[in-house]
Amino acid sequence: MTEMVIEANNLTKMYGDLAAVKNVTITVRKGALFGLLGPNGSGKSTMIKMLTGQIQPTSGSATVLGLDVKSDPVGVREKVGIIPEQETPPSFLSAIEYLNFVGAIRKIPDIEEKASWWFDFLDFADKKNELCKDLSRGTRQKLMFAQAFIHKPVLALIDEPLINFDPIMQHKVKDYLTDYVKAGNTVFLSTHILEVAEEICSDFAILHKGTLLYTGTIADLKSQQRHLDEFFLSLVNRDSHV
Amino acid sequence: MFELFIAMVKEEWRIHSTMFGSLSFALFPILIFWIAFMGSFLLPLIRGVLPAGDLSLLLHSSYLMLGFMVGAFGLLGTEVMNQRFGQASLLAYSARSLPLSERFIFANFVVKDTLYYFVLWVLPLALGFLLASPFIGIPLTLPLLLSLTLTLSFLSGLCIVFFLSSVYARSKPALAAILAILAVITGAFYLITGQNPAQFYPPLQLFLDFSWTGLFIICAAIAIVFWLSIRLFSPDTTGPVKHHKNLLVPLSNKLSFLPNPPFAAKDLIDMYRSGGMVGQVIFSFLIPLFVIWFFLLLLHGYLPMYGLLLEFAIVTGVIASTMYTWITMFDTFGAYACLPVNVRTLIKSKITSFSVLQIIPAVFIAVVAVISGQAEYLVPAVVLTLSVSFYSLGITVWLTGLSPSMLVYDVKVMVRYLILTGIALLILSVIVFAEPFAAVGAVLLLFPALFFVRLGYAKWETREQPAY
Repeated sequence: MTEMVIEANNLTKMYGDLAAVKNVTITVRKGALFGLLGPNGSGKSTMIKMLTGQIQPTSGSATVLGLDVKSDPVGVREKVGIIPEQETPPSFLSAIEYLNFVGAIRKIPDIEEKASWWFDFLDFADKKNELCKDLSRGTRQKLMFAQAFIHKPVLALIDEPLINFDPIMQHKVKDYLTDYVKAGNTVFLSTHILEVAEEICSDFAILHKGTLLYTGTIADLKSQQRHLDEFFLSLVNRDSHV
Repeated sequence: MFELFIAMVKEEWRIHSTMFGSLSFALFPILIFWIAFMGSFLLPLIRGVLPAGDLSLLLHSSYLMLGFMVGAFGLLGTEVMNQRFGQASLLAYSARSLPLSERFIFANFVVKDTLYYFVLWVLPLALGFLLASPFIGIPLTLPLLLSLTLTLSFLSGLCIVFFLSSVYARSKPALAAILAILAVITGAFYLITGQNPAQFYPPLQLFLDFSWTGLFIICAAIAIVFWLSIRLFSPDTTGPVKHHKNLLVPLSNKLSFLPNPPFAAKDLIDMYRSGGMVGQVIFSFLIPLFVIWFFLLLLHGYLPMYGLLLEFAIVTGVIASTMYTWITMFDTFGAYACLPVNVRTLIKSKITSFSVLQIIPAVFIAVVAVISGQAEYLVPAVVLTLSVSFYSLGITVWLTGLSPSMLVYDVKVMVRYLILTGIALLILSVIVFAEPFAAVGAVLLLFPALFFVRLGYAKWETREQPAY
């Protein structure tokens, strides 16, 4: 039987009268590279925030790695890696200090060695002693990527992970995520860059105006000889006209 | 470019009303008006105890403080704003995206702050007093004059801080030199003439003895200081990128006797590197307290010296409690949202950092006790300061969680804060005047402080934290 690492049932988030996410039911199997796709403002980031216990759902329930996101949000964040929508490392810590800080909170052994590997891998060792506020957006994104994976989580929830990277770094990160999943881990990523999703994701869901329009696999789509961008646009346009 | 000014006023309003709700924030000047109106009816009673001149002195010194604090937040708060609202999201910090010079934007910022806080604080107080005047037999000219001189007092505080912070941004040694010269002149004046310089505070003098010449001189002096601030204002705040030595690990090790050492280390690093430590200590702690001390000394005629010291210790405790704002201003919960940290842990760690910072008020009040010749009351003064500080902290944590600076203008929060601190401080004041050594009993305030902190944990743990 397939093991599920994320199970969300009728998850809803209201901001006053506005429903950011409406009755979304999603399951993510272990070992998937799951892409949550949708236009800007469709509720992707809200979904990630709910699944990582950063915000509480208005109704519905969800478990991540068997932990209830409502009752044990800290437990969830302890087990997973998260890259938030906006890169927010503390302004006055240097990059290395931030990874030290993350290491201390997550109680990661050999943090210096692991941090050093990430600085080299993402090619920003020359920036490690600069304050986070002085880093470019791309470098801050590298730092956030490193903090999300430095404790080797079995599940990573990442919001628009490639948006600030140059093409070389995008390629490197896509390879990393693919290998990471091959090793038995799971990635839940949100993006509106359909080419990326089609290239690396195994499973996907489409969210529009807070409502789930579709869940399926890239393999199924390919077997129907359809492209993700054309499929996505047809679904979203149809929903917009309803 | 009147549009920029209007946009800045709207922006300031929206920041406050977004944080506290439009209604809560709109009620704030009404609260001030109400306090002034109702307070005016107590004037005949108060004047039996406190001469009218001293009462006006307290009012003028309060508005001078308000000017200091508004100015200090406006100028030292750039990084705070960036952290809270995202990079360059405020007009004052977005000169690069507008075809306007930064000096021009700064000038608009100054005018905006002046008018905005005039409407928020000065006008309601003056109106309250004005409307109550006919009922208490005070000529109408008095509240009008008071509103004028309080405005000048507020502007004095604002322009002094703008000037000092402009100097600070250009050269820290220059600021230190200016402060040292001012301290020497003040001290020398006090020693030579035996008179307290605070009684010559120009807006107060103008209130006590109005003259058009005096008004002109004060207005000119304020305008010159503002002009100097704008001239000295250095828009180029971003220097070459620096490489920093790793302080987090060694500092965490040094603080390992505390709970959550990495958090405490991070808070101290934030304050040190942002310049906030020096800036806040000078502008939000030392300068206000020195001014308050000089104004309090004017009451020496009918209050014993030990009483003044212990009253000052209470005031120092209240101001020291605002250090919680210093350590919460540089991050929101959003910075921790991707880590396994809950709100309780974060508040606890902020209290730990706060406790480390309490060495500053403890040393400060001890030095004041010694310098004022009241060394025998050193222990009660220190205990009083720290107890009041932790008590006020407990209330702040309960009422505002991790956002103390953002909730100051929420009327509901403010009223609760004023009642809870006011009652305790009033009782303490009565006790310390009756028996100065009973001040050590203030340590009992730590129990309600702990109670409020626990209430705060329970309250904020269940609330969604703004990440911005």
